[in-house]
Amino acid sequence: MHTKPVPVPDEVSAPFFDGARDRKLMLQHCSACDGWSFPVRERCPHCFAAALTWRQASGRGTLYTFTIMHQVMNPGFASAVPYNVAQIDLEEGVRMVSNVVGIGNDALRIGMALDVVFEDVSDDIRLPKFRPVAG
Amino acid sequence: MPLPADTDVSTPKYLRDKYAIVGIGETTYTRGSDKTTRALGTWALRNAAADAGIKTSDIDGMLSYSNNDSTSATFMAGDIGARLNFYMDCVGGGSSTEALIGIAIGVMEAGLCNCVALFRAMNGFSQVRIGGTGARSATPVGGDMLHNRAYGWQSAGQMFAPTFMRHMYDYGTTPEQVAMVKVVHSEHASNNPKAYYKKRYTVDDVLSSRIICKPLHLLDCCVETDNATAIIITRADRAKDMRHTPALIRGIVGRCSKPRMDMHYQTGPISRVGGYYAKDILWPNSGVGPEDIDATGAYDAFTFTSMLQLEDYGFCKKGEGGDYVSSGITRLGGKRPNNTSGGHLCEGYTHGMNMVIENVRQLRHDIDDSCPIGADGKRQHTYDYREGGCRQVKDIELTANLGWANPMTTSGMVMRRG
Ligand SMILES: [Zn+2]
Repeated sequence: MHTKPVPVPDEVSAPFFDGARDRKLMLQHCSACDGWSFPVRERCPHCFAAALTWRQASGRGTLYTFTIMHQVMNPGFASAVPYNVAQIDLEEGVRMVSNVVGIGNDALRIGMALDVVFEDVSDDIRLPKFRPVAG
Repeated sequence: MPLPADTDVSTPKYLRDKYAIVGIGETTYTRGSDKTTRALGTWALRNAAADAGIKTSDIDGMLSYSNNDSTSATFMAGDIGARLNFYMDCVGGGSSTEALIGIAIGVMEAGLCNCVALFRAMNGFSQVRIGGTGARSATPVGGDMLHNRAYGWQSAGQMFAPTFMRHMYDYGTTPEQVAMVKVVHSEHASNNPKAYYKKRYTVDDVLSSRIICKPLHLLDCCVETDNATAIIITRADRAKDMRHTPALIRGIVGRCSKPRMDMHYQTGPISRVGGYYAKDILWPNSGVGPEDIDATGAYDAFTFTSMLQLEDYGFCKKGEGGDYVSSGITRLGGKRPNNTSGGHLCEGYTHGMNMVIENVRQLRHDIDDSCPIGADGKRQHTYDYREGGCRQVKDIELTANLGWANPMTTSGMVMRRG
């Protein structure tokens, strides 16, 4: 039985996964330029300052684009197909890759409002995923 | 075609037409070569030298590219009896062909060597499949894979598909329009005895093939094959002594990229590809524009990739790629045929080499189709493009190759008949 790949956080990305374990979506924020960034970096990708701090993001966003996987490229996903992979525009201005859950693939629409939920993938790791905002 | 009056000794105009592709070679395109990449590579290099009409020992520079799935120049050179004055094995796949031809020009211009052979050898079907399955799917994940593999996002088709979906949303591009890329390339391949797939396909064939990852059907994806390919580059003045009309290299852009290659979708529209930036280097370097080009070789790892590049390099307006590829323009007999060999979708998957090789043959006016060979040893082209017929573009003078690594990175090259 193959399992899905499990992230192994490193010292830079640990706060992201620590936050996810507490069901908080954590992003880096730059106090020099007020820019948000993702994925994890040691310096701000906008102004290259080192003044990054971790802040909890709103968890709200919209669906920017997506694809639906039918072919199994990794045996860990054999029982998951067809599944979606989405890019989500977060309110903070960054795009995240994730899966949209709680909705059929056929109902996915670019532009739809989403918010974050958390799913257990192992004893230690929870991943942020997104679901349609009710109403 | 005379050089334009603005040619002077300032780079890069000074380099226009100064170097040429003089030899091309390939193995057969198979699935299950039963050969090492070393054996395939030497086979293609010997064919290229024979095509140029030089001895393999005349090669004194060597370039290759791979993703650790080939054999390096250190082995190839000895196997073909060449003593090298320069060599370099680079990491890379698609978009490397044109970029490395640019490097070849650079090292010859710098006086490091005189005659460079570029090769790509791969068992792309029977050993390392570019789809990213097998050994490449090993768990767990760390580093920059943290934010994609855990969500099931890893193969090339999977990585590119969100770009294609957003293009359809932004511009109304339809699967039927894009399927025409496969239809047209399959028509071309049916006139190419070397092509792995010679069957002609219809739009219905493409749309009724199974979905790999939306919006890609099986027939939107290229054909993974085992093969090696080689290209020999030297100064145009030396090309006069060689067997064929040289394909003069007019201008190149190499591995030109969008911002933030690691996460390109973070910056700007995801349906924009590297050609948006590369066109501003390729056309000024070449001294021509898209309207001057007689045939294109727009990298077709997927049907969509050809369309996106034609669009962002300026062959049509942004968003009108669907119209362009379904209009008949890109067909043999059309205004500007694309991938006349059948390309990656039909001839075989080479990480870009076969599209350059095809355009070199086109510019010689000696494409290897089934037209009869005349008394002078040259094919008597009929320009009848029906199935099994001719695939020579009539009176072709200028070609453009548009290489694709991914939505972020592209290389391009303009060649003209010498
Ligand atoms: Zn900053």
